[in-house]
Amino acid sequence: MWVWFSKLGSPKWFYELSGKWLPWLIAAMVIFMTIGLVWGLVFLPPDYQQGFTSRILIVHVAVAGTSLAFFPLMLVAGTVTLVWRMKLADMVAKHAAILGAWFSFITLATGSLWGSVMWGTWWEWTDSRLVSMLFQLFLLLGVISLRSALEDSETAAKACALLSIVGCINVVIIKYSVEWWNTLHQVASPVSLDPTSPNGPQFWIATLIMIVAVYLFLSVSLILSTRNEILERERRSQWVQDLVLKN
Amino acid sequence: MLDAIQFSTWAEFINMGGYGFNVWSVYALFAILVAVNLILPWRKKQKIVRQLKRRMTLEAEVQSEDSSNGD
Repeated sequence: MWVWFSKLGSPKWFYELSGKWLPWLIAAMVIFMTIGLVWGLVFLPPDYQQGFTSRILIVHVAVAGTSLAFFPLMLVAGTVTLVWRMKLADMVAKHAAILGAWFSFITLATGSLWGSVMWGTWWEWTDSRLVSMLFQLFLLLGVISLRSALEDSETAAKACALLSIVGCINVVIIKYSVEWWNTLHQVASPVSLDPTSPNGPQFWIATLIMIVAVYLFLSVSLILSTRNEILERERRSQWVQDLVLKN
Repeated sequence: MLDAIQFSTWAEFINMGGYGFNVWSVYALFAILVAVNLILPWRKKQKIVRQLKRRMTLEAEVQSEDSSNGD
């Protein structure tokens, strides 16, 4: 058990295993993304109220929903770093913060582009969903700057784990904000099996495909960044030097 | 379930029922998100490997010089 666990944390082991997974993950990502984007841009019918702006939502919902995964991921990675001293988890947490900031920003921007025509406003400070998502973006930017200020010290790992707890509480607030405070942002649409319904399968299956595509993209991007980090940190070791020679 | 293609002309496709700017901006932003976060790590890897290679050849040269001077 302990042998297995220390192997799991070994950068070399992760590098080799992820190298085997990457081609499959990339292939799956390309397939799902192509289906999702073509469906969204070419086949998705106009909504009876929103017209073609419903096409914005399949992208917005996929990115926004996925953006909630970053703080829980960082909390798990931070705990593993602090409890089991696993450097690999710290590398994942570092790059998750950067990618999470991207996701939060794109969520806000795509939401604004939808709201500007459907709500008649780009931004609304009194809406809890919008403000809590903006707070998530600022928290992630805080984590990123904290890391660059404190280098790779244990203090940085501790501070980021602490901020991840705040971030996870905020994730719950983002999730339930539309039910707790009913202001501008609508609640999630109910899923309907009736093809003639405005919430029919043509919308939620397209959204589901985009969500899978976005999760695959997140994994691929995070794995690529983590592998780079491994190469840099382990550049003195024999296996990295052998690998470079083979390249 | 899968509806027919919603457009008959390119102009209609670009126009998106009057919401062309918003719909296309969203898809462009999504494309930027995906492209940047895949291309940057990929290019960084090329850079790391290149630098490591250069350093290793440098070190090898220094070592061979040392050994020839030592005799």
